[in-house]
Amino acid sequence: MSLGKLIERLLQLVPVLLGVSLIAFVMMALTPGDPVQIMIGDQVVTPEQEAQLRHGLGLDQPVPVRFFIFLGNALQGDFGESFYHRRPVADVIAERLPATIELSLVALIVALATAIPLGVLAAIRKNSLLDRMATIGSLLGVSLPGFWFGILLIMLFAVHLQILPVSGRIGYSSEIVPITGFLLIDTLLRGNLSAFWDALRHILLPAITLGLPMAAILMRVTRTSMLEVLRQDYVTFADAKGLSRRRVLFRHALKNALIPTVSVAAIETGSLLGGNMIVETVFGWPGLGRLVVESIFLRNYPLVQAAVLFYAVTYVMLNFFADILYTVLNPRVKL
Amino acid sequence: MTTLQRLMTATALALCPVLPAQAADLIVGFTLDADTLDPANHRKRETETVIRNLYDGLLTRDANMVVVPEIAESMTQVSPTVYDFKIRSGIKFHDGTEMTAEDVKFTLDRVTVEGAMGDGQTSPRQSLMGPVASVEVLDGTTVRINLKEPWPILPAMLPNQQIVSKAFIERVGTAGLATQVNGTGPFKLAEWRKGDAIIMERFEDYYGGATDIPPVGKACVDRVIFKIIPESASRVAALLAGDVHIINELPTFSIAQVKATGTTDVMTVNGTRSFFIAMNMEGEIFDDPKVRQAAAHAIDRDLIIDRILDGNAARIDGILSPDAFGASDLPDIAYDPEKARALLAEAGFPDGIDITMDAESAFKDTAEAVASLLTKVGIRTTVAVGESAQLTEKWRTAGKPKSGDMYFTSWGNGSLDPFDIFTPTHRSNDRGNSAGYANPALDALLDAAAVELDVDKRAGLYREAELIINADLPYVYLWVPQDIYGVSKRLSGWQPSADSRINLHDACVN
Repeated sequence: MSLGKLIERLLQLVPVLLGVSLIAFVMMALTPGDPVQIMIGDQVVTPEQEAQLRHGLGLDQPVPVRFFIFLGNALQGDFGESFYHRRPVADVIAERLPATIELSLVALIVALATAIPLGVLAAIRKNSLLDRMATIGSLLGVSLPGFWFGILLIMLFAVHLQILPVSGRIGYSSEIVPITGFLLIDTLLRGNLSAFWDALRHILLPAITLGLPMAAILMRVTRTSMLEVLRQDYVTFADAKGLSRRRVLFRHALKNALIPTVSVAAIETGSLLGGNMIVETVFGWPGLGRLVVESIFLRNYPLVQAAVLFYAVTYVMLNFFADILYTVLNPRVKL
Repeated sequence: MTTLQRLMTATALALCPVLPAQAADLIVGFTLDADTLDPANHRKRETETVIRNLYDGLLTRDANMVVVPEIAESMTQVSPTVYDFKIRSGIKFHDGTEMTAEDVKFTLDRVTVEGAMGDGQTSPRQSLMGPVASVEVLDGTTVRINLKEPWPILPAMLPNQQIVSKAFIERVGTAGLATQVNGTGPFKLAEWRKGDAIIMERFEDYYGGATDIPPVGKACVDRVIFKIIPESASRVAALLAGDVHIINELPTFSIAQVKATGTTDVMTVNGTRSFFIAMNMEGEIFDDPKVRQAAAHAIDRDLIIDRILDGNAARIDGILSPDAFGASDLPDIAYDPEKARALLAEAGFPDGIDITMDAESAFKDTAEAVASLLTKVGIRTTVAVGESAQLTEKWRTAGKPKSGDMYFTSWGNGSLDPFDIFTPTHRSNDRGNSAGYANPALDALLDAAAVELDVDKRAGLYREAELIINADLPYVYLWVPQDIYGVSKRLSGWQPSADSRINLHDACVN
């Protein structure tokens, strides 16, 4: 792809982000619920004290004014202060982000590592017992609610077998000095293998819970696409040439069959980042998803606003990368 | 190694048993992370629970909700509007510096004075300090609080404030205080893993805490960890797995499971939150006292407490918890469906009425049970589940006309003083008066009680007020649920307290 195209694609981000900011802002403003009332809760308060609190949060301004203040500040990289944490929103999000990204990436690995081999095997041995089992498994994977599946895993591995922890990111005996914020990487960089192992044991259950539904979808996609490719003339030709079965499958068929898998995986990764609120809640995972859900209920406007923007950027960028990957895998496709 | 061998080795390693927490670690499975660690800059109970283990206050409460001196040695009421506090000497902050009366004044000014919290902001906790006019240091060890008007609940509200170090704040600023701690409490902050855990270590130079709450001395455990587990099923699982020693908000349906293990147990304490149903007296149905009485007689509270709350609640016939100051026996509003039907007919609704009851999703089951009991007598009730923020705006905006029929709700009363539950829910046009109730005689009683310093007279005023609302019934008064905790049997020296705090100074893990 040429540099011009790349810049053009990046420029397309600007109206998207503006639109997303405006929609998110208007929706939050229109949703009933007053942050000041929520904050006061069951307390005695005089109208003056209430007004003072409202003023302190900047909520005494009309909505359009608030939007332009937000926009002006956001352009300078200032997303305001979280109503509850009383610290800059960017700091609060930055603290939580690595946990969410790490969980999503490990879930993606779980998904790909399960889906591709199973999908390929199911396609090669079409209608075999394995194919049927994989089909049933993927149906289950798609339809199991993450919440329920997560609790089941906890009950089995943490409560009954007691081999994995119930929740959290790492135990409390290992002190972590962050480098990248990703514990699996940081512990390795510091050469602390026992802490790495501890972190791995903590991430396993949430990553499986999050990754399996995605694995189910990807497996179906891989299987279908592989079946289609295996029917192509060039595969028959490669077989006829006397190439080994393995070479035909992996060198010729799989590379082409993976194209749809890659694009679906990229889009699904966006959903992983945004959609892991439930898994983060069940496993007490200190990520962004949980923070955003809590913030929506508390009408923590600045935080929700910044998080929505972040999700939008991530989603657009992931699609963008999927497009690039597409051109790599299939040189005939031009952007 | 082949791939398979590697995989098997990895699996075998993964199956290594979980290392148990160090014996001297006490881990609490807690619902919410702290918003901030600045004692003056939050409005949340959970945040205060965490902060209270790091910071001490002038006064505190014991597990039975009795207010006792902590950093103060004694309290003297000089006049109806002047209180003197003698400060204990030899108390150290975590950084080793000595705490002085100046720090106490600085702390209270920071909360009460407009714009004094730092960066020109006013503390969101200002209203918790009522009519404080000024704070002065009399001599090196006495702090005087001057009030604008008599406010008998000052001692009950002071445990909500924790003493900070003036020098430390001048050094780190208000922003720094959100994540750094230099308190006088039994534990100092070791690490705050945001959203995951707050790790505290024993403070070796601790002065010992309130002399009225033995044992006095350093904390028992080496470390305390508040581990954040928002989902109740996971919290229960963490307790059962031995990952944590205390969990809060144990759901009633998990009580049997926790009791059955042999290693875990359940502890309860009378809560401070009164549940009730607001009936919109500004509407055309519930402005008739007969309809309100019909609703009250239609609800079998004992049945719901027994079946849904598993017996863990106390019935109320007025707004006050049986443990609150001024609570007294009131005429019983008994379950009597016949009487309810008759009252409804007398009110001109022989064929019944159709109404909607708003409730938050967390209370959907209970609200549905209430609705079916109401429906049985002809008050055909549909439960409309709404989100807390939205229902608060609909029902709790002072001066805004009420639009619904019924609202299944509650009000917390952490101080167990009627002032902060009775006044907001019943005074005309007050923010929490969801029923739209307006009774000048009651307003006069509540206003008089708010400033009455004679304890017996004050209790008498509240008794009179309770009798009025027990007859007028702007609300159907339901129950005060217990707070339920799951605990490990290895835990000792801890008992739950009615204000929902989890003070771990005296707790040990065996």
